[in-house]
Parts: sequence; C-alpha cells; structure tokens
Amino acid sequence: MPAIETNDLTKSYGDATALADLSLSVPEGELFGLLGPNGSGKTTTIEILTGQREPTSGSARVLDADPVADPIAVREAVGILPEREDPPSFLTPREYLQFVGDVRELPDIDERIDTWADRLGFRANLDTLSTDLSEGERQRVMLAQAFVHEPDLVFIDEPLVNLDPIMQAEVKDHLRDYCDRGNTLFLSTHFLEVAEQLCTGVAILRDGRLVAERDPRELGPDERLLDYFREEVHDDEGAIHEGEGTVRDDEGGAIHDNDATHGDDATVERRGDRP
Amino acid sequence: MTGGLLGRMIREEYRLHSELFGDRFAAFPVVVAALSGGGFWLLTLTDVGSGAVAGGLHALVFFFGLQVGSIGLVGRDALRDVLGDVTLLVFSARTLPVTWRRLLAVFLLKDLLYYSVLFLGPLAAGYAVFAAVTGVSAGSVGLLWLTTAVTFAYGAGASLTLAGVATRNRVARLALVAVLVTATAAAIAGRLDPVAYSPLAFQRSPSVATAIAGFGPALVLSVLGPLTFRPADGGAARTSPDRYSRVRDALRDRTGVATRSTLEVARSSGSVWKVLFSMGVLFGVTALLVREVGRVTALSPSPGIAFGTLLGLGAFTTYSWVTQFDDRREYRRYPLSMDAVFAGKRTAFLVLSLPAGLVYLALSLLWVPPVDVALGAVVFPLVALYVFGVTAYVTGLSPNELLFDTPRFVAFGAALALVTLPLVVAALAYSADPAMATGVAIGVAAVGAAVGLWLSARAGPRWQAAGR
Repeated sequence: MPAIETNDLTKSYGDATALADLSLSVPEGELFGLLGPNGSGKTTTIEILTGQREPTSGSARVLDADPVADPIAVREAVGILPEREDPPSFLTPREYLQFVGDVRELPDIDERIDTWADRLGFRANLDTLSTDLSEGERQRVMLAQAFVHEPDLVFIDEPLVNLDPIMQAEVKDHLRDYCDRGNTLFLSTHFLEVAEQLCTGVAILRDGRLVAERDPRELGPDERLLDYFREEVHDDEGAIHEGEGTVRDDEGGAIHDNDATHGDDATVERRGDRP
Repeated sequence: MTGGLLGRMIREEYRLHSELFGDRFAAFPVVVAALSGGGFWLLTLTDVGSGAVAGGLHALVFFFGLQVGSIGLVGRDALRDVLGDVTLLVFSARTLPVTWRRLLAVFLLKDLLYYSVLFLGPLAAGYAVFAAVTGVSAGSVGLLWLTTAVTFAYGAGASLTLAGVATRNRVARLALVAVLVTATAAAIAGRLDPVAYSPLAFQRSPSVATAIAGFGPALVLSVLGPLTFRPADGGAARTSPDRYSRVRDALRDRTGVATRSTLEVARSSGSVWKVLFSMGVLFGVTALLVREVGRVTALSPSPGIAFGTLLGLGAFTTYSWVTQFDDRREYRRYPLSMDAVFAGKRTAFLVLSLPAGLVYLALSLLWVPPVDVALGAVVFPLVALYVFGVTAYVTGLSPNELLFDTPRFVAFGAALALVTLPLVVAALAYSADPAMATGVAIGVAAVGAAVGLWLSARAGPRWQAAGR
C-alpha cells in the first residue's frame, strides 16, 4: 500500500489553477522530493494532503485515510513542518512542545522533549522564550514538533532552511535514518542538491502540473538534477517559468503569493479568510 | 526626509488595509458616517444634551487612540503572527539611516493624519446631523473634528508613553504608577478635573487658556512617547521556568489552547495589566457618562447595569489579546478541531476578563450601593459571554481585522447593539421602576449569554470550513 496516493488532484481559485490533475504514488519508506519553481503548486499539494485545504476535484489517500473526509485523522498520523513558520513567540521550546504533546495526547512528552532537544541540539535553549531564539534555533524546534510523536509520515517544506552546515548534515543523517526505519518523508524543496543527496524519488511540478518523475539515484555520472530541472521548467525562451503571478480567490481577500524573494510556493496566503 | 517618510507610511497604511480588506475598505468611512449619523439622530430623540454627546465621543476617541497607538509597537514577531509576513517602515531603524525616535514620531503623526481623515472626519460628518437637529452651530462640527483629533493624539501618545516608560528601569515604572495613582485619587476626591486637561475643555469653551490646558497634555505625551520608547529587540535572551504545566493543571486544560493563550497574554508587552488597564479606561468612561447623564437629565441611571454592560462590551479587547498571536493556519496543522480551539480561547478569555471586570465592580462599591453592584456583577459575565460568542463567530481568530472590514464591522456593531440598547434603556429607566429594570437587565443579559454560547459553538464549524 502506498503511503500517499493522489488521483487527478486539482485546486482552483476562480479562473486560476494552483494544481492540475496531479496523480502521484509515494511508496512507504520513500524519501520523496517535490520540486518546482516558485508558484508551481508544491505547498498547495502539501496543504491538500494534510487536510489543510480541500481540492476542487480529485482524490487523495494518506496512510490509508482521506484528508478531505477526515483531516483530523490524517493530522494525527503525520507530522508537518511548514516553511517559514516559527514556534509561538512567548512560549519556550519546552512549553511549545508540551502544547504539541497535549494537542497530540502524548503521555510521555517530557521524555520526548529531552530526546529531541538532545538530538537537534537545543537543550540549552529549552527554557528561552522563542522570540529570543535565532532563526536556526527556531527551525530546530519546529523540526522537533514535526517528529516528536514519531509519525510514520512527515511532510516538510524546506527542511534545512536557516540551519548551520553542521546541523544541516546532522538533519540529513536523521532524515535518511528515519526513512531507513520504514517511515516516509515528503519533502518540498528548492535546493536541488538536497534532493540529489537525500531523495529516493522526485517529482517536478510546473504551473501546478506534474511534468516529470525521477529517481535521483538513477542519474548517470554526468547527469545532474539541476540540468534535468532546467529542462523541465524552462519555457521556450529559456527563462525559468515562475508560475502565473498573483491570484485572488473567489471568496475575496485571498492572495495567491508567488513571491520569489521569499522563496514561497504557490500557496494561498489567506489572511482574510472568510466563511 | 521626514515628509517623504510620512507620505510613504501613509501609503503603507492604506495598502495594508486595502490588501487585507480589498474594495470593502473604501466603504468604511461611509459606514462610519452613516452609523454615527444614525446614532446621533437617535440621541436627539432623548434628553441627552450636546455636552454629554461630545463628552462621550471624546472618551471613546481617547480609548481608540490608546488602542491604535500601541498596535504598531507590539514587535515584529507579534505583528507577523497577526498580519502575516509584514514588515512596516517603523521597524526599519536598523536598515535605514533614520533614528528610531524619528521613525516613531513620524509613525505617530501618520496615525493622527490617517485616522483623522478616515475615521474622525466621517464621525464629525455624522455629528452634523445632531447639530442640524438640535440647533448647535455648524462651526461646532469643525471644532469637534479638531478636538477629537487632538484627543486621538492624546490617547495614542499616552499609550506610547506608557509603553516607553515600561521599557525603562524600575524607578521610572514606579514613578509612572505613582503619578497615575495620585491623579486617579485626586480625580475621585474631586481635587482634579481630568476634563479640564483634555481637548474636551477647549471644545466646551474655546479660549487660549483652555487650548493650553486642554491640548498641552496631548502635545507633551506625543513628544514623550517617541522620546521614552526603546525597542525591545536585542538584549539578553529571556528565559522562563516551565509555567505551562502549572497553568494547564490549574485550568484543567486538556488541549493546551487556553494555557498557551493565557501565557502569551501574560508574557507579551503589558502582561495581564493591559487587560486591567483597558477595562479601567472603560470603567472610568462609564463612571463619567453615568455622572453626566445624571447631571444633565432628570434620569438617575443604574451604575450597576451600566458598569456590567460596558465592562462586558470592553471584554472585546480581552478577546483581542487572547487571539493576538494566533494564525489559524497553524491550528490547521494539528489534529485539533476549531471547536476545541474556540473552547480554549473562551476559557482564556474568561480567566483574564472576569477578574479584571469584577475588580472594578468591587471598586465601585466606594460610591455605588451594594445591591446595584451585585446587579452589575450578574450582568457583566453574561454580557462578556455574549461578546465572546459574537466576536468568535463574526471575526474568528482575527478580531483586529474587524475595524476596517466594513461588512463585518456593521454585523458586529448591529449584534452588539441588539443586547446593549435594551440594557442601556434598563439602566436609564432604573429609577422609575427598579424591579422591572432589574428583570429586563438580567433577562436580556441571560438571553445574550445563551446566544453567545450558541454562537461560540457555531464558530468552530464556521471557521473550520473557511479557507479550506
């Protein structure tokens, strides 16, 4: 049984299509990378698969649960690390992970906190207010909250952002080890070298469409994922295709953020979400 | 350079609001003018005189200034929690060759100009209706605009100065508390008339003397604020012992949402004191209004019902505090229903707002009969529950966006008026028939609380579906 399976998954906002007919299958134990330029639909895909958004059409199964019909069950089973999100400013890492433990009903949260603080190297900062941590320290705490309940599947949007080189190497080792134990990782990343080094399967999105699937381990000695990526996401004039720009959804007030300077994806920043 | 910065900050503020609310933002001044015009017209049907109306209006604008003055100063992290990835020019002291003080002074001036045009101008236009019906001179409309604008600056400058002094040493903070306590005691004892040192004094009797006495404090505070404020960035990393477990156990909080929200309020700028302070301002305003109504009309309003109602309405600010750091996108990542999130928010809201309101009701025992205070103690929590339900249902976890989102603003105002108006009438009619007024007040507040509980139960499903 695949850990993730999607069939013709589509997400539209009015006339704009963020994701079109995405069909994917990610086997258990895979370290899967979803690649694509800004605005290609990577974050939208993760948000749909984790029950944070509903697709316009199509279906998905995540660990044999339906993220549309039962999003809570999916979120119970998986870990999620979104891009550019910090722990709550006025809680300490210990308190934030205690909160996550309560939300996830983990009985032995204190032991888990110690374990993850040691593993990701933030034990010295366990009682520092998160607002006073460096960006790299906050990212370590966010990594811990995604793994603290030891899920079978973790979705990560840019796992190594803000980490120093030593911690990057340690996190890469941890991710490999995590998948070696039969767990599944679904990474969204702009860093092709990360995908090359880590992933056992990659898919490339362009304008919300799946344009290629590869196993980086099958690349020839002279092949680079970057060349392959360029080939798939360049338009005829040779420029990297960056998505379709700003989109407002049909409920008003919603912004389709293709901000290349933030490295963001085709996520819909819905600050003014209105029912 | 200051002029260019000011223009850019004004553009930035407008773009921020238009980005948040789209085309609906443009209708906001029109709605303010229509609502205030309607409200003032209703007041012409009562015995309330123009002096009381102007007094109430200045008090509300002062409170508004206090709120607005602090909103840009909560820190970049908190602002990002509220608005998303937003960086305002006021935070650019580290990257631009502009001092923090100059940025803050221009920020304050920008707020004054921006809100004077978009909010106070329409408010004064609405007052023109009142002036036309009651025969007050047309010039008084312009005068009201001027004095409310200075009152707004008074409030914004006061909150900035309070925040500024709070960033200084313990001696400065103690000195500030001593000044506030002394002034309050003098006002209660009748030795100090706070109105004489506010722009309202000039509005009531324009002269050079009232201009100096009335506008002086606003000017002083508007200068003191930027001078005293120091940004919180930098310095040693703050640590805290684990309070989470203790608070969670005390609240019997299964999901942790109430615990987290309470800790966030307690540790952010102003701590839990900001809840007490905002309620205190409303308490003071209500006390003044009750006194004024009793003085200028033949009515003898019930302070208990008035305090209970206004403090309950004032609990809106507590809702704002307990949701200030929330991003609904974060909660969507957890195996947690929005029902559970709003239940946790309600616990935090009640834990913070009820003690604060009850403190002021207890304080009113100094001059209000115990039976009347007891009536207020019944009305207050019931109205607070109604306010929670309406706010949660209408605004979700983004009450700070309410102000300029015209349809939501209208819906929210109408929903509050449904309960507030009968309660105000009951307060005003108390002396004529105490038993009837008591029954109406408790009955309306109880029905309001039931509706509030129902709305807060509906808020979860409503906001669960939103944005998916």
